[in-house]
Amino acid sequence: MRILLSVFISALALAIPVRGEPVDFHTQVAPILVQHCYECHGGDESKGGFSINTRGLMLDADAAEPGNADASYMIELILEEDPAFIMPPQGKPRLTAEQVATLKAWINEGMQWEAGFTFAKARYEPPLEPRRPDLPDAVGDRTNPVDRIIDAYLAEQDLAPTPPVDDAVFYRRVSLDLVGLLPGPADVERFVADAGPDKHAKLVDQLLAEDVEYARHWMTFWNDLLRNDYQGTGYITGGRKSISNWLYRSLLENKPYDQFTRELLAPTGGSEGFINGIKWRGDVNSSQSVEIQFAQNVGQVFLGINIKCASCHDSFIDRWTLEEAYSLAAVFADQPLEMNRCDKPTGEIAQPAWLFPELGQVDPAAPRNQRLQQLAQLMTSPGNGRLNRTIVNRLWHRMMGRGIVEPVDAMQTEPWSEDLLDYLAVYLGDEGYDLKAVMRLITTSRAYRAQSLVQDEQAESASFVFAGPIIKRMTAEQFVDAIRQVTQTQTTGVDKKFAARRIEQELGLQTPHNISRASMLASDFLQRAMGRPNREQVVTSRPQMLTTLEALDLANGEAMNEKIKAGAAKLLELHGDKSADDLIDLVFTRSLSRVPDPAERAVCRSMLGQRLTATGVEDLLWSVFMLPEFQYVR
Amino acid sequence: MQDWYDPTQPDLTRRRFLQALGASSAAALMTGAPRLVQADRGDGLVQPEPKADAVILLWMAGGMASPETFDPKTYKPFEIGLPVEEIISTFPAIDTNVDHIKISQGLENIAQVMDRATLIRSAVQPDLGHILHSRHQYHWHTGYVPPLTVAAPHMGAWMASLLGAQNDVMPAFVNIGQRLEGVGESEELKAFTQPGFLGSAYGPFNIPFPEQAARSVATPEGMTPERFERRYDRYRQLAEQRGGGISDYHEASMRQAIDHAHRLLGSEHKNAFDLTLEPKENYEKYDTGRFGRGCLLARRLVEAGSRFVEVTTEYVPFLHWDTHEKGHETVVRLKQEIDRPIATLVRDLEERGMLDRTLVIVASEFSRDMMIEGVPGSNARDQSRAKTDVLKEMQHYGLHRHFTGGTSVLMFGGGMKKGFVYGKTAEERPNIAVENPMSVEDLHATIYTAMGISPKTHFEVERRPFYVTKDGQGKSVSDVFA
Repeated sequence: MRILLSVFISALALAIPVRGEPVDFHTQVAPILVQHCYECHGGDESKGGFSINTRGLMLDADAAEPGNADASYMIELILEEDPAFIMPPQGKPRLTAEQVATLKAWINEGMQWEAGFTFAKARYEPPLEPRRPDLPDAVGDRTNPVDRIIDAYLAEQDLAPTPPVDDAVFYRRVSLDLVGLLPGPADVERFVADAGPDKHAKLVDQLLAEDVEYARHWMTFWNDLLRNDYQGTGYITGGRKSISNWLYRSLLENKPYDQFTRELLAPTGGSEGFINGIKWRGDVNSSQSVEIQFAQNVGQVFLGINIKCASCHDSFIDRWTLEEAYSLAAVFADQPLEMNRCDKPTGEIAQPAWLFPELGQVDPAAPRNQRLQQLAQLMTSPGNGRLNRTIVNRLWHRMMGRGIVEPVDAMQTEPWSEDLLDYLAVYLGDEGYDLKAVMRLITTSRAYRAQSLVQDEQAESASFVFAGPIIKRMTAEQFVDAIRQVTQTQTTGVDKKFAARRIEQELGLQTPHNISRASMLASDFLQRAMGRPNREQVVTSRPQMLTTLEALDLANGEAMNEKIKAGAAKLLELHGDKSADDLIDLVFTRSLSRVPDPAERAVCRSMLGQRLTATGVEDLLWSVFMLPEFQYVR
Repeated sequence: MQDWYDPTQPDLTRRRFLQALGASSAAALMTGAPRLVQADRGDGLVQPEPKADAVILLWMAGGMASPETFDPKTYKPFEIGLPVEEIISTFPAIDTNVDHIKISQGLENIAQVMDRATLIRSAVQPDLGHILHSRHQYHWHTGYVPPLTVAAPHMGAWMASLLGAQNDVMPAFVNIGQRLEGVGESEELKAFTQPGFLGSAYGPFNIPFPEQAARSVATPEGMTPERFERRYDRYRQLAEQRGGGISDYHEASMRQAIDHAHRLLGSEHKNAFDLTLEPKENYEKYDTGRFGRGCLLARRLVEAGSRFVEVTTEYVPFLHWDTHEKGHETVVRLKQEIDRPIATLVRDLEERGMLDRTLVIVASEFSRDMMIEGVPGSNARDQSRAKTDVLKEMQHYGLHRHFTGGTSVLMFGGGMKKGFVYGKTAEERPNIAVENPMSVEDLHATIYTAMGISPKTHFEVERRPFYVTKDGQGKSVSDVFA
């Protein structure tokens, strides 16, 4: 509950303690706090790390000792005579003797607080339930529901829809987005020549049907999100368990997202590594116990809720409390879980519970496995619109370069289009939680097919207006795979415990070729240099810019240099008899899905010289791979 | 609030400052780019006047026993049958050029520069349960104990981000001597050898082998400098054909990064990486091995404009300072490796007039003891591999247990006092800090303060403050400043 501050200010006249009556927080205490403390310590302000927003926060800061006003630090500061320490600070109006008496009486009476009240500023409160928005009328043949919503949105903003990209750019974009690979030049050529009216949708269907390449590509996204890797801290000591096999199988099967979620929350086999977190050797801060990791990861991954703050103290920034964080953790705990406030035990035992009791609650008396199953059911119950909104927003972010809600892990933020977010979320449910169906809906829209926006600076969240797609940097995995594709070389080094091939066989899938994708391999120097994260923390968006250190690794680093050398040698072996122009065309069409224009061709010719040599081809490859056009998905 | 960036180079530092504000290249970010909070919001965030321009951290990786180095105690020579509980130091103490300071035998060169040193003998570390190197090293380098919900930046990354390099062309943060591949616990090493939420722009320039440093800024293997330059030239022409027409900030920043990389690779400053350019006589003074050469490289890089250079004796489980057996013999060798280069570095900086503005720090994740694991009363598991009650053979002789109760940190230059000892450990076991114990947070606050960075400096990450010292609570120890 939130109360307008003006109510307090008009109530100031009443703020006089009445002898014999208990002090009333609402009419007597809050007005004093608003008058003297709020400016620096309330709402978004917490100077000196002190916030009056909730009783819990005041107590966390040791500002007062309920029942003992004389031993309370805030009273001490208010009565202080030294101008260096006095509160409110020198120059501000002092509290009257009556006001001090009121505060003291309030503290002595135990600091009563109005239940649920906070001085924190009212923020957008995201709805829990799913909502099916009415679709605006289609403009012309722009009938995709995404376009119907966005066209209406653009009209409201007085913006015209962005024109479409040419077909070759579209092919490269949609191929990298859906299966993570560069398209073959012949395929692009056929697609461009195709005059069929529904060729774009057909291409999307064709790419989404490439189960193996799709699954391999999306391992990158899910490994980041579920904090899974092939090697790293904890895997050797057994403090952490890989879920690679379960995950890969789930992606190959396109497991419905509700089932996928349930299997992660109440694991039956192979997926337990997610909720079990990382068990660190030695003593850890209570906010990083495996139980709290569970609460943090479940909140972040499935709901876009940041419980990291609330796992130490009541959050300053949103509505989540320490108790709620611990209650969620207690669902996972196999023993009674004592709450810790700022790493200090409170003596209270957390009751297992989840965050939205409106939808039902876990039975705190049930054994752990049942509690987890109940949580899994609640999380995926049709009434939980937040599960769907969170994942469709992540997919939109991957496809369009920016979320409908941004940041993607702060789902309490207002979306730029509630209709679009809500529509995609119910669509996911309508389609049986089929993530590919949502990807299909997005990538067959005209909004997706539009030209990328040219931006001179990063869009700030508050004032963001959607106008079209934003370019995306290739992931490290895409970059490494793309080099391999252009140069027809191999990547090797499959993790032995990761039985990808066996799973493909069990599912009766035709493996297209016997080459491993970077997303299926342990990280290496080049991938790390290109932004593949250490997966100890959940990662939901990767750096979008190349840094100088990364550029150095690409300019003269051994790993890149070896790839270039091996690639040039392979191309010479296979295409050494070609003319310089043919080789330039080959590299350009493979890398950029286009032929060079005459000026580009002239520069490339000057690199290659008269006769194809290793150094010439190496320099050509390096130069093309370093083009922003190559490293960004446009 | 006073300006804390270098006012003599306003444009340069301002640009970097803006980069820090707008840095979007941060991994593990949940809620957009981290934002540097610079205003004093009533929490005492006032940037101090810098006393030093650069830091050279000489890292004794694996746990350097202070009773064997900078805090000698009663010496017991090796003798078969000697009860190990009687052993505190396995080396005799030697005089230094400061009357009241004695250090351990084998450090005779450092003894002759003690009149330039502040010697802290009372650094303490928390007891992290099982005393694990990787977690203590993470703690020392980032100021935070892992695991964390946000990747904490290395101290060098903080300085790279807040101060930039002294010279724009040079990498701000260089890490010398540690392999991050193919050694034990390499994942754990990588976990703190990184810029965390600050983003990869502020990450370390890693040079595992100092003698190969020149290679790391040279043209790729088998490529002449002429070809390298021509390649870049042609690349620029190519990129300008079409890319030139597109001014998207992503693409523009990529071009800038590539350009910046080539600026270093084409600049004379890259000569700083080349140890063969050092006069032979001076080179030899440093050259006791990889660490010694690392010290020389550090001096050259700081001279050329790097901001924070770490040189490590290298952490490899059970090697070097990680002495779980044969401690005495190992430490004899290690002292030979570090003694002359450290003393030479101090004198070299002094001769160049750089010592006053360069803070040299010799530190380790914790100390060691013959008997006690952790601190007295700790539940840490005994990690000695040479367990015995009385000495039977040489491999038993040495300090084989991790001790967190009292550790020495040696500092030179950078505004520190000279010939000064801060803090004290007990003469008898347990040799815990009995005077002025100094936490990692306070030690860091002191180092950051010397560099003109308030310990309360923080970024807003995921809408929470993330401070340069844990929760902004590190307190600079003013006693050590001259």
